[in-house]
Amino acid sequence: MPSDALVRPRRPRPRLTPGRACLVLGLAVLTLALVELDARSGLGPGLAALIGTPDEATGALVLHFAWWPRLAMALLAGGGLALAGVLMQQVLRNPLAAPTTLGVASGANLALMSATLLAPGLLGLGREWVALAGGGGAMALVFALAWRRGLAPVVVVLGGLVVNLYFGALSMVLLLFHQEELKGLLIWGAGSLSQNGWQDAAFLAPRLALGALAAAWLLRPLAVLELDEAGAKSLGVSLKHLRLAGLGLAVFLTGCVVSVVGIIGFIGLAAPNIVRLAGARRLGARLVWSTLLGALLLATTDLLLQRFSGALPTLIPTGATTAALGAPLLLWLIPRLRLGGEAPPREARAIGTRHPAPGRLAIWLALSLTGLAVVALLAGQTGTGWHWAAPTDWELLQWRLPRTLAAAGCGVMLAIAGTLIQRLTGNPMASPELLGISGGSAIALMGAIFLLPAPDNLTLVGAGTLGALVTLAVLVGLNRKSGFQPERLLLTGVAITALFDAVRAVVLAGGDPRGQQVIAWLSGSTYYVDLPSALTVTGAALLLALAAAPLSRWLDILPLGGATATALGLPLARSRLVLLLLVALLTAGATLVVGPLSFVGLLAPHLARLLGFSRAGAHLLGAALTGALLMVLADWLGRQWLFPEEIPAGLVASLLGGAYFMWGLRRL
Amino acid sequence: MFRPRRVLPWLAGLLAALVATAAPAETPRLATLDWTLAETLVALEAPPRAVAQIEAYHAWVNAPRLPETTIDLGLRSQPNLELLASLDPDRILISPMFANLTPRLERIAPVETLPLYSPGRDTWTEMRELTLSVGELVDRPEAATRLIEATEARLETLKARLDGTTPPPLLMVQFMDSRHVRVFGDNGLFQAVLDRLDLDNAWNGPTNAWGFSLVGIEALAGLDARLVVVEPYPAGVQETLAEGGLWGHLVETSRGTPLMLPPVWSFGALPSAGRFAELLVSALESADAV
Repeated sequence: MPSDALVRPRRPRPRLTPGRACLVLGLAVLTLALVELDARSGLGPGLAALIGTPDEATGALVLHFAWWPRLAMALLAGGGLALAGVLMQQVLRNPLAAPTTLGVASGANLALMSATLLAPGLLGLGREWVALAGGGGAMALVFALAWRRGLAPVVVVLGGLVVNLYFGALSMVLLLFHQEELKGLLIWGAGSLSQNGWQDAAFLAPRLALGALAAAWLLRPLAVLELDEAGAKSLGVSLKHLRLAGLGLAVFLTGCVVSVVGIIGFIGLAAPNIVRLAGARRLGARLVWSTLLGALLLATTDLLLQRFSGALPTLIPTGATTAALGAPLLLWLIPRLRLGGEAPPREARAIGTRHPAPGRLAIWLALSLTGLAVVALLAGQTGTGWHWAAPTDWELLQWRLPRTLAAAGCGVMLAIAGTLIQRLTGNPMASPELLGISGGSAIALMGAIFLLPAPDNLTLVGAGTLGALVTLAVLVGLNRKSGFQPERLLLTGVAITALFDAVRAVVLAGGDPRGQQVIAWLSGSTYYVDLPSALTVTGAALLLALAAAPLSRWLDILPLGGATATALGLPLARSRLVLLLLVALLTAGATLVVGPLSFVGLLAPHLARLLGFSRAGAHLLGAALTGALLMVLADWLGRQWLFPEEIPAGLVASLLGGAYFMWGLRRL
Repeated sequence: MFRPRRVLPWLAGLLAALVATAAPAETPRLATLDWTLAETLVALEAPPRAVAQIEAYHAWVNAPRLPETTIDLGLRSQPNLELLASLDPDRILISPMFANLTPRLERIAPVETLPLYSPGRDTWTEMRELTLSVGELVDRPEAATRLIEATEARLETLKARLDGTTPPPLLMVQFMDSRHVRVFGDNGLFQAVLDRLDLDNAWNGPTNAWGFSLVGIEALAGLDARLVVVEPYPAGVQETLAEGGLWGHLVETSRGTPLMLPPVWSFGALPSAGRFAELLVSALESADAV
């Protein structure tokens, strides 16, 4: 994405400049802070509490040890994250890049969880170091994956996404089995700015200052990245080292912030985009204004939150709130963005070499699928050890058959949805989850679990469908005007997914025992499937797969870019709408049954491509078979691995698929 | 995490032994997903055949212990249905939290849903009712009555031990990390015990359906109370707290040294209530003796 991708709308109304935006927010912070101080202890004593050693008055104590450090922390964290966001977006040339894209947050999260369970002594030495090590490790993994390709932006983003999903899945497994031990980390994961003294602010400030200095030093070479690759190379800049330095710096900043306040993702995405939209074009200006805007944005949110959340019996973490508030903001922004137009997408077809006989390969896959299904149905552990069941043992098969069927059906649906969306958008990061349909459906389901007393499964299904439909309506409504432009579509999805993450974080951070149920469902288990719904899923999967088959001509042409497609006589908007509807139906169907299993939707099309299915028709078939195979295997392994405890199929699929995917990516 | 399942190898022998000794049992074979019901069953001397997440039960509920022969059903939210079906229980006991599993569980055995901590109901009354219904289910109504009477008598004795002292209001917290605590109040186990012991709770703020509220430490400032910390501390938190900061000042300004209590299942029934009362009163006495 060229950095001038976002420009002002054409109508020159009262101009929004970065300076004015910051001024407005700055005044808001000041007003809120003064009103708060005045209400608490009066202005004079309030300001005195900032510096003076507090007397024994409780109000002054709280101001000195909690309120002021919290304000300082909000400003520091917001600024740091926004700075990291600008750097990443500049280096990756992608307005969707954010400090969490590289897996830093999930790496830090996983490191903290593992340390809590396996080596609690490490946490005594300093949580921030554990978090930094985890984040750094995740980043190193991403870089290792993308190194052979000279850290090309798309490969870095792709690697980051996979590492994110992979670490996220590992954390989910830990969480599923150790919810009680890890409940504190759920608060951290939701990004609470609550403070217990000045230690954390004192930790963060010098590190951020160092990062800002380094960013200033890198300013000129990084600005060169705005040229295209060839232009930058001809200027004699080592792209690899430059990108490494830029990303490394951004990760350092993110790691420092994340380790003290937890995951506050949206600021790093929103602040740079708002600043660019407001007309800051040069990198220097964007760095300065974004940092300022990010700091003020987070401080405003946090002050408002402290003012209004006191009456609730649960903690509303700031990080989750920024994400929830940021989602509508992003939705509002999307129609005002002018993205990279209809340029042919990069890299979308670069993975894998074409197999000489895809038909034979497909037959092999189908045979393996059948064999695996038989094993999954008949082999398994019971109370007395491993046991090979008779095919007529209905007492046992009544539990296994629905799960295997549902796994296969959902695998097919998600794989086809993933193939469609990846070809439609020409974006290798695209997956059904990124469109937000699973997210929307999941929000509705969590609402049902928490707001209704003891909901039955029919209610849950109804709520999930409603959520998916509303999300679809939002997607269509916001994108109809632009003719369903791929990047715009993805942005809408990112916004909805952000909202989903926020809701989930709030729900889990509250520590409600029902959180266990939510975690179980979110991790994608076939546990809740009964035979009628399994048959419905399988039938729907077959029907929708048949519906997708005649569309393969569109899918062959669409990745060539909008201009080419129009020239070849393709009805661009209509074909996109049809494909989108199909994707939505597929995703909603799979999500309702086995939860938001995005990994298969992302991985199956890639695996199919790595195997050598390259034309659209063959790709669809290959992906569907791979998806089914992956899911059936994952479901069976998940049921046997830790018997009698069960690891949800979605987690196993992402663990298996993710490992293979990283290996494949490394070979590129 | 993926430690070898030591349980498996001898599960076989165990099950065989069970089948062999399964003479027409005087108490019905029960399975339960809920730890609160499990502890009640054990206290009624009718331990369940199978319970979910036994290892975690022992870590968090601690006492009363489950018999060695209890079979682990896997996760509470997703018990292993194949295993459960093969055990052929007479009845499955759940709390409303697992209501969505009912249709599935009913294919295996009749399901009994026993509520506790319903919003708007007196916790102690509900705990008594729960104990009585569980007693009915295992055909030991007299044991249930005994358990209720014993627990209430125990609490009366404990209350008498506090006579003459005037303990300040208590503020019961459990640390989530170094900056957040669960503070226990209305509609919870600890509050119910405090009420019976005639002690005051300093936390009058709102609580959720489980009787606690998740707050930052700053929310505790200004409450005139004695701090009661329910262990365990999350890893590294004690060290961070020792550095001072707001918590240090809260401790200084609170009434007397904070009381430390070993882990108690904060969503439990009568057995946990009795245990909590015992621990609390002993801590109050030994702190005053010093």
